[in-house]
Amino acid sequence: MSIAWLLRRLLTVLYTLLVVSIVVFGLTQLLPADAAVTLLGENATPEALAAVRLRLGLNDPAWLQYWHWLSGLLRGDFGTSMRTEQPVGPTMFIALGRSLLLGGLSIAVMLVVAIPLGMLAALRRGKAADVASSLISYLGVSLPEFVTATLLLIVVADQFQLLPATGYVAPSENLADSIRHLILPVATVSLILVAHVSRMVRSETIDVLNSDYIRAARLKGLPPRTVLMRHVLRNALLPTITIVALDVGYLLGGIIVVEEIFAIPGIGRQLIVAITTRDLPSIQAGAMIMAGTYAIANTLADIAYATIDKRIRYD
Amino acid sequence: MTDTLRRLMRTPQGVLGSALLVGLVLACLLGGVAAPYQPEAMDFAGRFAAPGIKHWFGADQLGRDVLSRLLIGARSTIPLAVAATFSGAAVGACIGTLSAYLGGWWDEAITRTIDAVMAVPHLLLALILVSTLGKGSLNAAFAIAISVVPSMARVTRSVALAVRQQEYVKAAIARGESGSWIVLREMLPNVAAPVIIEATIRVAFAVMLFATLSFLGLGAQPPASEWGLMVSEARRFMHQAPWVIVAPSLAIATTAICFNLLGDGLRDALNPRDER
Amino acid sequence: MSPVLDIRDYALDYVTRGGTQRVLRAIDLAISAGEVVGLVGESGSGKTSLAWAIMRALPANAREAPVGRIRLGDTDLRAASAKALETIRGRRMSMVFQDPSTALNPTLTIGRQVTEVLVRDRGLSEREAWREAIQALEHVDLRHPEALMRRYPHQASGGEKQRIGIATAFACRPELIIFDEPTTALDVITGARILELFGRLRRETGVAALYISHDLALVSRVADRVAILEKGAIVEEAPGATIFRHPMHDYTRRLVAAVPRPERRLVSDHIADDPLLSATDIAVRYQRKRLFRPVPRPATADIAIDVRRGEILGVVGESGSGKSSIARALTGLADYTGSIVLAGRRIGSAGGMDRAYRRAVQIVFQHPDSSLNPRHTVADMLARPLRLYGGDVSTIPALLEEVRLPADYAKRYPHQLSGGEKQRVAIARAFAARPDLIICDEITAPLDVSVQASVVELLLRLRAANGTAYLFITHDLNLVQQVAHRIAVMRNGEIVDLLGIEDLRSGKVHSYTRELIAASPAPVG
Repeated sequence: MSIAWLLRRLLTVLYTLLVVSIVVFGLTQLLPADAAVTLLGENATPEALAAVRLRLGLNDPAWLQYWHWLSGLLRGDFGTSMRTEQPVGPTMFIALGRSLLLGGLSIAVMLVVAIPLGMLAALRRGKAADVASSLISYLGVSLPEFVTATLLLIVVADQFQLLPATGYVAPSENLADSIRHLILPVATVSLILVAHVSRMVRSETIDVLNSDYIRAARLKGLPPRTVLMRHVLRNALLPTITIVALDVGYLLGGIIVVEEIFAIPGIGRQLIVAITTRDLPSIQAGAMIMAGTYAIANTLADIAYATIDKRIRYD
Repeated sequence: MTDTLRRLMRTPQGVLGSALLVGLVLACLLGGVAAPYQPEAMDFAGRFAAPGIKHWFGADQLGRDVLSRLLIGARSTIPLAVAATFSGAAVGACIGTLSAYLGGWWDEAITRTIDAVMAVPHLLLALILVSTLGKGSLNAAFAIAISVVPSMARVTRSVALAVRQQEYVKAAIARGESGSWIVLREMLPNVAAPVIIEATIRVAFAVMLFATLSFLGLGAQPPASEWGLMVSEARRFMHQAPWVIVAPSLAIATTAICFNLLGDGLRDALNPRDER
Repeated sequence: MSPVLDIRDYALDYVTRGGTQRVLRAIDLAISAGEVVGLVGESGSGKTSLAWAIMRALPANAREAPVGRIRLGDTDLRAASAKALETIRGRRMSMVFQDPSTALNPTLTIGRQVTEVLVRDRGLSEREAWREAIQALEHVDLRHPEALMRRYPHQASGGEKQRIGIATAFACRPELIIFDEPTTALDVITGARILELFGRLRRETGVAALYISHDLALVSRVADRVAILEKGAIVEEAPGATIFRHPMHDYTRRLVAAVPRPERRLVSDHIADDPLLSATDIAVRYQRKRLFRPVPRPATADIAIDVRRGEILGVVGESGSGKSSIARALTGLADYTGSIVLAGRRIGSAGGMDRAYRRAVQIVFQHPDSSLNPRHTVADMLARPLRLYGGDVSTIPALLEEVRLPADYAKRYPHQLSGGEKQRVAIARAFAARPDLIICDEITAPLDVSVQASVVELLLRLRAANGTAYLFITHDLNLVQQVAHRIAVMRNGEIVDLLGIEDLRSGKVHSYTRELIAASPAPVG
């Protein structure tokens, strides 16, 4: 992996973040004809409207507004919430930490379940296990997160009273309790991810199993387990990294909904609150942070992929 | 066209998907007529009625018949999602094809920008748009259409690039065909098929996204009986009447499955394999 | 002495959506120790299926007839359990595959893929296996084997990878090795070296070998006995030395007749020095200069090439020699610097190629599968050049007849045609505009030898009727000696020789050309 390649990758992610910032800012502040009215409603008094305009700098030309906001971001100043009058940055980042915990656990669970599931389905292609897991996967990708979450809530928390319905407990406070509260949210998010990723792993593994080099390996007299572990595994896993990176996008969408339903104070929840209360700086900061996380996750995945796949040339 | 339909009916996915699609279309068109009750007809005596003879899918917290609301709700849920997907797909397809055709620096610039926009997850993009434009079904549909554009552009571009490498395109260039001929008559028929398949599968996502937005209170507004909205309203009463949640959930799932199946079936139908 | 491989009365079917297809019928074949038996057949003859049947690696939809025996020495392979087969494969019988690039796992080092066989089948320790592997690679004439062992497959050339495949197959000293077209995917010269290696190793080890190929001429030089496979049945079996000279069966005779023989000229006319197209200083570059990347090498150095009116100019070279780049430059498919003069008019770049030029210069591509738009009918495709260059659409049936295709094929789509038929449509399309020059870019390479012969006959007939010139690009030196008036030999983007056909025979040629000639020996008989 050459420096030139890394440099180009870095430039790409910077460009991405720039475009994202333009999209976020453009859609939230520049798009509406009068952002002040959008924020305060039709019936707001002219004085209130003027105050908001002043505070958010809405009277400045568009590029200047954007520049103020962007330069603030680069300095680490994410603005002040219109709802709480507190700086937005710290709140968002703490919330992000909780979301990362939720997201990280979900990805971990997903990897542990989806990869073996997908490979097994590929190995037993056409048989009962494969068809069954395909059906379940189909169902998994056809259920929006809010449906899965609500159904899980009904069954597990409500009817059988096995786990708490909502709420969040930090691991530092009480590990056991924290885990109990996280099980359902993590299960919801992982379910969709597992459904999605296991299908991809299955189709990648089938491709590998049908390849010439696997046939050659078998005909060399290698036992099936060796063929599987040494030859099939790494070729099937490589594309999985790309898929997982793409799924972080699904994850972020799912997290918003799941945090809302299970009342977890992560960044998704903050975003919903910000939208409902029309807290513009919080909306901008939250969106920017979420999208930025996704872009960075993708870049990390690219680098991981590149270190493992010797076939990519970095000239 | 009929050829494609015939091939579609040969696959199990095609048959099942088409059957479901017919059912959904009927629900949209005739839901109002077929519904046993008025969707807004409240019946306080029959609140939380369990599924039974009187209410096949039960009744909700205001005594409204779930089945009726479900049938009427089809009209609120599906057509907008489909329209949003296909309009977004059309725009995305144009951008993708253009980018592939232009090649070079333009292609690079457009692709990087599309990739950057795709860094904003779909739900997030839709949320931002709705927060600016305001709540409501039309705004939600618009937001979904916008969110479909980048991914369809990317898919179209990669298909168009692959088609451009084919030797029949080179043969056309060597023949001296005009650029517009090459794009419209040589490339487009071969690009259209994968794009249609992709768009069909996206409808499933769009339906789910629309329902999610309504669930969060940002899409369809009460008293519409949009399915996501139904789930959201019933959340408070899930203890007393879980069926009010299960029914619309199943409806959403069925719709998504329908379009996924159709997409899979079309994949086989639109790619004629060696028939000799 | 019992044979190493004994196949008796073996039959095989494939179950497909269209019904059950019989792929092999009543196969009787025996190979003794030290013997090389060649199996020759065209595509669809079942030769590869026989290889899979012997290695017991048939696809899921294969159905073997209940009678029929395959024995390896004393072992009944059909009755062997999966576990038993594991020990047999690699150790008692092994295989060398057709495409060395796809037969190696791209994510494992070469060394690993060689040592795993040694560890498994000879019970060696990792370190012993490593040493043995290095020796095995040396034995197949690979230089710097230790370094090679640490590399990945994509870092080795095609010839190196095939040597590795051969070394792996020989590593455990099996009784039988199956060679599935080992040189088909390689360049001519590399392939010739592999054949030399094969000859040496079989003399040294006395292994029994089944050599599968579509190339009768090649196999007859390599094998002790040759079996001809036609549509799943062995129609003739004879010693390699005599089968080419005295073919008995009709099918064998047809195969022998179709093999290109350089001494059998198919064109006998003399070409006047009347230049049709001359290109000078042509340099083709494929990649633009991109950010942070070094400037790419041009695919062709500044070359000059000319075609005379009505002549057939053959262009030969191995892959990467630049011969396809010339074709692309002359048809405006690749950017080039330099100038092309056609009938007195100068074309400075691809953009300058106007309608008149394009009508005059047409091209037929190598892969008929991708050169025909899958969504257009044959009629659609033939109508285009007619519409563009003022022809009459009603001549389409006549065009089809010229290429010996039935008139009702006009309604068909490409997926309803065979490979040979598709190539004929492509040729008809090129001729529709009545061009002065047709560039044939390796158009016979993917075809069976009998189909190739008929396509060549078609091209010559059309030339006789229309006076068209051809730029005939191929890697088959024997074929080009049959049809070309002049031959250009290319290597690494340069033309190393441009001579008339008589000069080629005389031996006053570049050393590379001599190497090429030596690597494609004329068939004996």
